[in-house]
Amino acid sequence: MPSSGGTRRSRTTDRGRAWFVAGFLAPATLLYAVFVVLPVCQAFQISLYRWRGISEQKTFVGLANFQRLAGDEVFRQALGHNLAFLLVGGAVTLGLAMAVAHAIHGNGRWARVIRGVYLFPQIISMVVVAVLWMFVYNPSFGILKASMQSLGLGRFAMDWLGTPGTALPAVLVTFVWHAVGFHIMLFSAGLRTIPAEVQEAATLDGADGMLRFRQVTLPMLFPVLRVAIVYMVIGALNVFALVYLMTVGGPDRRTEVMLTYLYEQAFKHSDFGYGTALAVANFAVVMALSGLAMLLLRRDPTEARA
Amino acid sequence: MQRWIRCAALAASAVYLALGIVSCGGKRESEKAGTLNVAAFKGGYGLDFFEDAAKEFETERPGTKVKVWGNPRVWEQLRPLFVAGKPPDLAYPGWGMDHWPLVYENQLMPLDEALAGKPWSGEGKWADTFEPALLKLGQHDGKQWMLPYFYNINGWWYDKALFAKHGWTPPKTWSELLALCAKIKAAGIAPITYQGKYPYYALHGFLFPWIVSAGGIQAFDDMQNLKPGAWKSAAVIRAAGMIRELADKGYFQSGANGMSHTESQMEFVNGRAAMIPCGTWLNSEMREQLPKSGFEMAFFLPPTLDGGVGDPTNIDIGIEPWVVPAKGKNHQTAIDFYKYMTSLPKAKQFVERKGTLTAIKGSDAAKLPSYLVEPAAAFRASKAIWSVEYIQWYPKLGTASQNATAALLAGTVTPQEYAERLEAAAELARKDTETPRHTVTR
Repeated sequence: MPSSGGTRRSRTTDRGRAWFVAGFLAPATLLYAVFVVLPVCQAFQISLYRWRGISEQKTFVGLANFQRLAGDEVFRQALGHNLAFLLVGGAVTLGLAMAVAHAIHGNGRWARVIRGVYLFPQIISMVVVAVLWMFVYNPSFGILKASMQSLGLGRFAMDWLGTPGTALPAVLVTFVWHAVGFHIMLFSAGLRTIPAEVQEAATLDGADGMLRFRQVTLPMLFPVLRVAIVYMVIGALNVFALVYLMTVGGPDRRTEVMLTYLYEQAFKHSDFGYGTALAVANFAVVMALSGLAMLLLRRDPTEARA
Repeated sequence: MQRWIRCAALAASAVYLALGIVSCGGKRESEKAGTLNVAAFKGGYGLDFFEDAAKEFETERPGTKVKVWGNPRVWEQLRPLFVAGKPPDLAYPGWGMDHWPLVYENQLMPLDEALAGKPWSGEGKWADTFEPALLKLGQHDGKQWMLPYFYNINGWWYDKALFAKHGWTPPKTWSELLALCAKIKAAGIAPITYQGKYPYYALHGFLFPWIVSAGGIQAFDDMQNLKPGAWKSAAVIRAAGMIRELADKGYFQSGANGMSHTESQMEFVNGRAAMIPCGTWLNSEMREQLPKSGFEMAFFLPPTLDGGVGDPTNIDIGIEPWVVPAKGKNHQTAIDFYKYMTSLPKAKQFVERKGTLTAIKGSDAAKLPSYLVEPAAAFRASKAIWSVEYIQWYPKLGTASQNATAALLAGTVTPQEYAERLEAAAELARKDTETPRHTVTR
C-alpha cells in the first residue's frame, strides 16, 4: 500500500510527462490536422456539390455525384486497370523482388552492386522513368524495336503504347521496372534479419532449396512481406504520373486509371464536384483494400506455429 | 533539468506554430495595388515579348508598373486565384484552361464598351482593328468576353527540299494524295505521320477538313450546333472512311498512334515521314530541333475530296484568348495595356519576332518567315473560316470525340460505329442541362 504522498508525487510526474509528450506531439499533430485531416474532410464536403472550380459558386447536389459514379462505365474500367496494376504488376514485382533478393542474399561486393543497380529506378523521378520508357517503346527508333528486329522478331515489333491491346501491358512493365528495386531492398533487409543459425538448422534437418524457402525463409519474412503488400496496394491504386505521361490514359481509355480520370473530370471538364467524388471513391478503395490486406495477413505464421 | 527540457519542448512547438501561421498568412508582393498583374501562358512563344511590351508600356505611362508572370501550366495556378477572388488584371490562360466556365460564373469583364472606344493610336473603334471573324470567337450571348491575339491556321506540312528532290508536289485533292502516298511509300519514307497520343491533331488534320469538304461548312456547323444526326451524317462517315483508307493502305507511319506531338514532329523534321498535320505553331515548337540545312518547312491546306461540295478556301483557325478578369483591380490599365499590345506596330513586331500571325488587321504586312507565307495567303483567300469550338464549349463531347478518334485510328471501330459513338456523345451533350449552349452563326 503506497503512501498518499507517494501517489501524489507519481501523479504529478505522470502529468508532467504527459505534458512533455504532448509538447513534442503538438506541432506534428497540428500540421497533420491542418494539411491532411482538414483537406480530407473538405474533399468529402466538396463531393456533395456541383462545382466548376473557377469561382466560389457551388450548388449542393447531395449524393448525386456518387449516384453518377455508381453507374459510370469509365470509372469501372479505370478501377479495373488499377486492379491490373495491383494484381499483375504487384504480383510480378513482389515475385521478382523476392527471387532477386534471395539470389543476391549476402553482403558480397556483387550483391551490393546488384542491389544498387536495381534500386536505381527508384531514385530517379517518375517523369524521367516515363520519358525513358517512351524512348524504349518508340516505334521508330526505340531500342525495343531494334532489339526485336535483331533477334529476328521484327514482325512482333509494334506500336506498344498506341495499340489498344498492348498499351496497358507496356505501362505495367515500366511500373514493375520502377517498383522492383525498392522491394528488393526491402526483402534483402528482411533476409538479413533471419538468423543464420535458423537457416543452418533447417539445412541440417534436411530442408534445403525450395523447401527451406517455403518453410523457413518465407514465414520469417512475413512481417516484411506484409508491409510490401500494403505498400503495393497503395502504390498501384494511386498510380498517376506514369500513366499520364506515357499514354494520357489512352488509346481510347485503354490505360485510364482512377486518378487520370479524376484529373480529366476536374481540370479538363471543370467538374470538381465529380472529380472530388472520384477522389473519395479512390480513398475508399485504397482504405478497403489495404484494410483487407492487413486483415488477411494479420496472423504471423511463425507465431501461429508457436 | 526535466523542467527545462519541458519548457524547451513547448517553446519549440510554439515556434513551429508561429512559423506555420506566418508562412500561411504572408502577403505577396504582387498584390500591391497599382501594379498591373499580367498572367500569361508560357508556351513556344515564351513570355519575352509580353515582358518587353510591359517595359515599353511603363515608359509610355510613367508611374505605371506592369508585372508579367507565367509558366507552361499557368492555367492550373489561375484556377485557385479565380476561386479566391484574387485573379490577375489581365490573363492569357493558355490552351489547358477550360475558358467558358469563367464566363458562366461571371469571372470576366465584358469588353464591348472598351472595344467601342478608341484604339491605342489613331481614330475609329478598337474593335475595327481586329479581324472580325476572329473577334467573333470570343463572343457569347451577344457580349465580347475574350480577345484574340495571335491565331493559328491548321493544315498540313511538308519539307520543300525533300519534295523537290523527289519531284513531288503537295497534293490538292484526295486522288492526288493517294497517288503521292504510293510514291512516297515506294521511296521508303512514311507518307504521313501524326500526333496519335493526342487525337486532337487528327480531328483538325484529317476528320474535320474532310467533313467540311464532303458536306460543306454547314455540315460542321451543324455538328457544333448539336443538330440531331449531324455527328453521324454521311459526311462524317465519309471522312472517317478516308482516315481508315489511309491507315489500311499503310500510308500512316507505323507507330504514329502512340506518338506524342514532339515524337511525331521529330519524325517529320528528321525526314522519316513526309507530311504531318499541325497548326502554324509547328515551326516555333520544333525550332531547336530543325536541321541546320536542307530542310524547308512549308504549309499546304489539307487535300480536299474530288468533287466535294465544300469550298476549298474555307480554313480551320483557332485563337488562344486573353481575358480581363472581373475581379481584377486595374481594369482600365489592363485594357490600355492590351490596346498597346494590339496596336499595329506591336502586332507586326509579334509576327516578325515570333513567326506567327495575329488577329490585328494588316499585321501580316510584316516580313513573314517563309513557312508563314502560305498560311497568310490562305487566310486572305478564305471566303469563310471555321474553328473547332465544341471542345471548349462542351468538354465532355470534346473528350469523347477524341477517344473515339483514337479507336478509329487504331482500327478498333469501323467508320459507321465511329459515327454512332460520336452521335451518342453529342446526344449526351444535348441532354446536359448544366452547360450553357452555344451556336455558330454565319
